[in-house]
Amino acid sequence: MHRISRRAMLAGTAGLIAAPRLARAQAVKPRLTVISQWSAGSDGAAITALGKKFEEKGGTWQHSPVPGFTTEMMNKLRAQIMAGDPPACSQLKGPEIAAWSKIAATVNLDALVAAAGYEKVVAPDLAKLHKPGGKWISLPLQIYSTNMLFLSKRAMDKAKADKIPVTWDDFNALAEKMKAGGVAYPIANGGTRPDDGQKFEAALAGLSPAAYRTAIMNLDDKALKGPEVKAAFAQVRRIADWMDPNTAAQHYSTNLQRFVAGDMGMMIQGGWAQGVLLNAGFKLDDFIIAPGPSDNSKPVFLLNADAFIFWQRKEPDLQAGQTLMAQLVMDPAIQTMYSQITGSIPVRTDVDLSAAGWSDGQRRTAAALKEAVAANQAVLSLAHNMAQENGMTAAMIDVLTEYVKNKAITPEQGVSRLSNAVEGAR
Amino acid sequence: MTEAVPAAARTGQRRAAVNGLRRLPEFLTIWVPLLLSAGHLIAFALWTLWISFTPSTLVPVSGWVGLRNYTAMMATRNWQIAFDNLLVFGSGFVLLSVLTGLALAILLDQRIRGENVLRSIFLYPLAVSFVVTGTVWSWLLNPGIGIQKLVNDLGWTSFRFDWLIDRDMAIWTIVIAAVWQSSGFAMALFLAGLRSVDGDLIKAAQIDGAGPVRMYRRVILPTLWPITVTVVVIQLQFAITTFDLVRALTGGGPGTATQLPALVVYDFMFQRGLLARGAAAAVLMLLILLAVLLPYAAWQYLQRRQSAHA
Repeated sequence: MHRISRRAMLAGTAGLIAAPRLARAQAVKPRLTVISQWSAGSDGAAITALGKKFEEKGGTWQHSPVPGFTTEMMNKLRAQIMAGDPPACSQLKGPEIAAWSKIAATVNLDALVAAAGYEKVVAPDLAKLHKPGGKWISLPLQIYSTNMLFLSKRAMDKAKADKIPVTWDDFNALAEKMKAGGVAYPIANGGTRPDDGQKFEAALAGLSPAAYRTAIMNLDDKALKGPEVKAAFAQVRRIADWMDPNTAAQHYSTNLQRFVAGDMGMMIQGGWAQGVLLNAGFKLDDFIIAPGPSDNSKPVFLLNADAFIFWQRKEPDLQAGQTLMAQLVMDPAIQTMYSQITGSIPVRTDVDLSAAGWSDGQRRTAAALKEAVAANQAVLSLAHNMAQENGMTAAMIDVLTEYVKNKAITPEQGVSRLSNAVEGAR
Repeated sequence: MTEAVPAAARTGQRRAAVNGLRRLPEFLTIWVPLLLSAGHLIAFALWTLWISFTPSTLVPVSGWVGLRNYTAMMATRNWQIAFDNLLVFGSGFVLLSVLTGLALAILLDQRIRGENVLRSIFLYPLAVSFVVTGTVWSWLLNPGIGIQKLVNDLGWTSFRFDWLIDRDMAIWTIVIAAVWQSSGFAMALFLAGLRSVDGDLIKAAQIDGAGPVRMYRRVILPTLWPITVTVVVIQLQFAITTFDLVRALTGGGPGTATQLPALVVYDFMFQRGLLARGAAAAVLMLLILLAVLLPYAAWQYLQRRQSAHA
């Protein structure tokens, strides 16, 4: 009796204290401070559209874009974190999520993710990146594959070929045919660091996704010195011999005109190149998009995903904004809207891409992802900072870009330089 | 009489106060920016020095790791390549820009017609930002579209000028672009020097029968050497801190062949998220700069003392 009344009293008091708070929490207008590098083009349009949706749901959207390289966005983020005033939400991707989560408190999104049933529909390797320490603190937004194969229709005509290459042997044979048919450079390329890195990751993952996983993602020393890595270097040398050496440090998009004209034949690029080609005024009939070469014939998917990380804030309106934002980002309708603007594919593997508004390339990419996940062949891109932290990635890309540019380096030397670079950056 | 003294003192005080007030803007315009920029510079240099001894990665943290960042940095291929490149670029660029500037200045000094126009043309590259210079030269030097292609199309098909994509020669493309950009500056300083040579000296030499070549070699050029030292020092400190030119021209490539210290600092600090390593590289750069500037300061001090004694 005595005890019960005390418990009742406690409950009553708690209720009294909680009630006005609850009322206040319901009344608070969600607000979100966001920083990202997306300011212009399709990226800018997509995040603006996301902001509109946020406002439609009754929120206040405060986006401060930091145009330029991702690193410049990171500098702003660093400054804000050091000043004790992080944005409620910021763009961040890959292993940097785990690294940055150590320098400032993040929001635990586990309950929201569970409520949305989100974990089941995200590729497992991707999910792991966004829950360092086992807790969801960030959410992937959209996916690109970095090893899509773009074929120039006119170069195919010159080579009198119509079959899309599946394995690296097919690929090499087609390149020879193109060369013989008068295509000046069977491989279209730029000369930037990620460009060179992409050639290598496409080669290794296509030769052996398992070796890619152990060597590049897990940095296993034995795998790094293994025969698959050497074979990948040899394949990269063949690719480099088919490229225009005069591209210097140009961006790959500089040569799209020559690619479409059939002066260059094939391009190993991220799925975003589709958007760039269309933006440059070329037609979908000018080129074919297929998954990159894979020796076991099942598609290999090199994952590159943009994501949002949520930083802990005390303000109730920002917290409400974070909840709303997380729900929006996981929403299939929002992912559809976003990907249709940028040309990526949705993170959710259960979105139906047969509807109008999606391109064949996007449908093929999404199908490739599904198949690759089923075959355990969806791996994380090195060249686009998904497989390793930036310091390690840069050390490895140093070796790869030198290898592509300096034909005096043998595949054996490539292997030892790469494992040395990994050792040095550990 | 007894009252006059304090009155004079009072007016004196007032005059001093008015004088002080009148000179206040001078003090403000000189001392405030000077102290601010010096504080800024020194404070951040010290801050960088401190960071270089900490284990900082993504954000600055306290802690002490001694010289580990320095030894690690100097052991990287990036720094070794950058340092070697700095030696080649620094000497090549300074020598060529001084020689070109001097040659242009001597030619302009011949009392030619249209001197003003020519001088503006030679000086003009200085008004262009390094990013623009780098981009323009990256197209000109690209063998597939630039000078090589032009000469090939004109009929000389075996002509090769592909330094931009040649790992061993790529650093010289940066020398070319940098010399183009800044030899006009050297020219302007040299021209001013040539014009200030004592007319009597020249007349005396002429009376003694010196020809133009001998006159330049024996009479005029020796008076130019203080200017030469200034030009060399200014160009050297520019060479050591070069960043945007390389960024736009070669992007540090082919591969990593044209890395320079400033690129390495930026790369490690902001792209690799290794603040302490980058800070160590920045301090190494500062040491290289001091190796140039301290002897210059010492030389200036000696010069001043000598002239004071004379």
